[in-house]
Amino acid sequence: MLGLPALAFVAGVFGIPVLLFLGKAFTDPSPGVQNFKLIASDTLYVRVLWNTVVVSGATTFFALLLGYPFAYTLANTSPRIRRLLIFVVLVPFWTSLLVRAFSWTVLLQPQGLINAMLVGIGFVHKPIELMFNRTGLLIGMVQMQLPFVVFPLYSVMTTIDPAYVRAASGLGASPVRSFWKIYFPLSMPGVLTGGLLVFVTSLGYFITPALLGGLRDFMIAQLIHDQVADIGIWGVPAALSILLLAGTFALFGLAKAAGVRTK
Amino acid sequence: MMSKGLLAVDSNDSTLPAANLRRRTFLAGAGAAMASAALPISAAAQTKTFSGRKLVYVSWGGVYQDSQKLAYCAPFAAETGARVIQDGPMNEAKVRTMVGAGSPEWDVCDVTDTFLFNGVTNNLFEKIDYQIVQKNKLAPDYAQDYGVGNCVWSYNVCYSTKAFSNSNGPKTWADLFDLKRFPGKRMFRNRVYATLEIALLADGVTADKLYPLDVDRALRKLDTIRDEITWWNTPSQSQQFITDGAVTCGVIQNGRAFDAARKGASIAIEWDQNLQSLDYLVVLRGSKDVEAAMHLLNRSIQEDAQARFVNATAYAPVNPGAFDYVDKPLQPWLPTQPEHAKLGITMNAMWWNSQLESLNERWNKWRLG
Repeated sequence: MLGLPALAFVAGVFGIPVLLFLGKAFTDPSPGVQNFKLIASDTLYVRVLWNTVVVSGATTFFALLLGYPFAYTLANTSPRIRRLLIFVVLVPFWTSLLVRAFSWTVLLQPQGLINAMLVGIGFVHKPIELMFNRTGLLIGMVQMQLPFVVFPLYSVMTTIDPAYVRAASGLGASPVRSFWKIYFPLSMPGVLTGGLLVFVTSLGYFITPALLGGLRDFMIAQLIHDQVADIGIWGVPAALSILLLAGTFALFGLAKAAGVRTK
Repeated sequence: MMSKGLLAVDSNDSTLPAANLRRRTFLAGAGAAMASAALPISAAAQTKTFSGRKLVYVSWGGVYQDSQKLAYCAPFAAETGARVIQDGPMNEAKVRTMVGAGSPEWDVCDVTDTFLFNGVTNNLFEKIDYQIVQKNKLAPDYAQDYGVGNCVWSYNVCYSTKAFSNSNGPKTWADLFDLKRFPGKRMFRNRVYATLEIALLADGVTADKLYPLDVDRALRKLDTIRDEITWWNTPSQSQQFITDGAVTCGVIQNGRAFDAARKGASIAIEWDQNLQSLDYLVVLRGSKDVEAAMHLLNRSIQEDAQARFVNATAYAPVNPGAFDYVDKPLQPWLPTQPEHAKLGITMNAMWWNSQLESLNERWNKWRLG
């Protein structure tokens, strides 16, 4: 009940305008579904949508790969180290996206720290291209998304009773086997939640692709923004937004179904 | 899309409408609005022409809008008794919606050249009253039916004086496409506007035959150096690339080059075929005080106002007479300085406006390669 005024406020000043905007997918420039037909038939939209899904998927994969051991350490270490590790994740999280993207530029550029090190130790002969391509984009996005996997994983992992793993070991399972058979399945809800959060938020990225990605790495949110803000057309971007929204809801539905199963 | 991009206002770059940046410029605008609203109207001002009347002035925030407030709005308010409230940042979608709804909250807006023509097509602006605005103060190109020039900026060839000794660097757009004589990565702006012009001029098209642009030819020309181009998305990136040595040469905006040089970068720019663009001041259709708004526009193009704005921002004046008051060290960096103006080409924003949608689509497809 207490939430009602807030709910009414959000519905009024946010919900209604969003619905009005999305409605333009079917009315602008003329009534019908021509905007959706255009999107399906134009290779530009199909390719940019595909780009978006691939980049978001890869970001999710690498964020989980890096975030899982980190969250594991977080859940199984002394409180002092834990505080330090949480701080390490949160500081970049609180830093502006733009600042982080520019910081990566300093590190990744041909004369940057990372290339200087690689050349210095003789790993490569001349600087390698670490940014303005898919590599740079993924490095930037994975770093920005890490907190979104670390915290859900950590909160699930702290609820896993160490007695289960001990029991498995006691019954003769090797550490590797007891991890994969016992610990990992128990941590699955965290993997799903974290993975979903990263994937869904990645779909809407467009500053990082612009600053760290290559010419080809542009994503759907950039296209939507350009069309509304720069060109002044509403129908196609509204239709793209509906597709993005529908995809997100579908994912949540799938995750919910999967979540029910893992329980 | 051709939003501000020189010294102060990255946040308005349309490739980066980062929510936090938007908020910051908005707050800056709101702060300025409060400051100007708080200015006491002196007893003398009460008797002045527009005493008790109010205008809302909208621009791009940052130093850019602060300078407009200082150079145009404050003197106008002091002289006429009108109150000028600052708001922003400028947002084209908002203008369309507001004017469409019938009673805009904004009166005077700073708009890009393409949006001027877009707005004319869509009937968003009031016709400029040249009975009030002194046309003879402006270079002829800058006095449009529905907009008065605010300032001019240009794209120039630039190079690092570390990579090429002084005066041995690339001098023309064609030189930027010559990988043998001028090796190394070159930077271009990741935007179709101006990039097509640069490619065509480099390919030998003369300025008088430039429009309508031969898009296929331009993209073919760009293909020849595609792998050697580093693309900048925000103007500050262009400064960073040349300062860090990430590129040896490329395309830069005049104000950004000035700012980099002032901060000690080894940079030189050339003026041959400098590509000029400008920003306009417009009055939104349905404004509650068109008359006062026209007088504010007229105040903005006076020599003292223009010079004060230029000295604070490194944009170039639309009133040639302002050069008498522009700081001497700044003059070599300005596109409307008479020598540079002779070499310059003004981009055809009217043509661009008619092609914006289809050219963006072509460009995006080319990007995906």
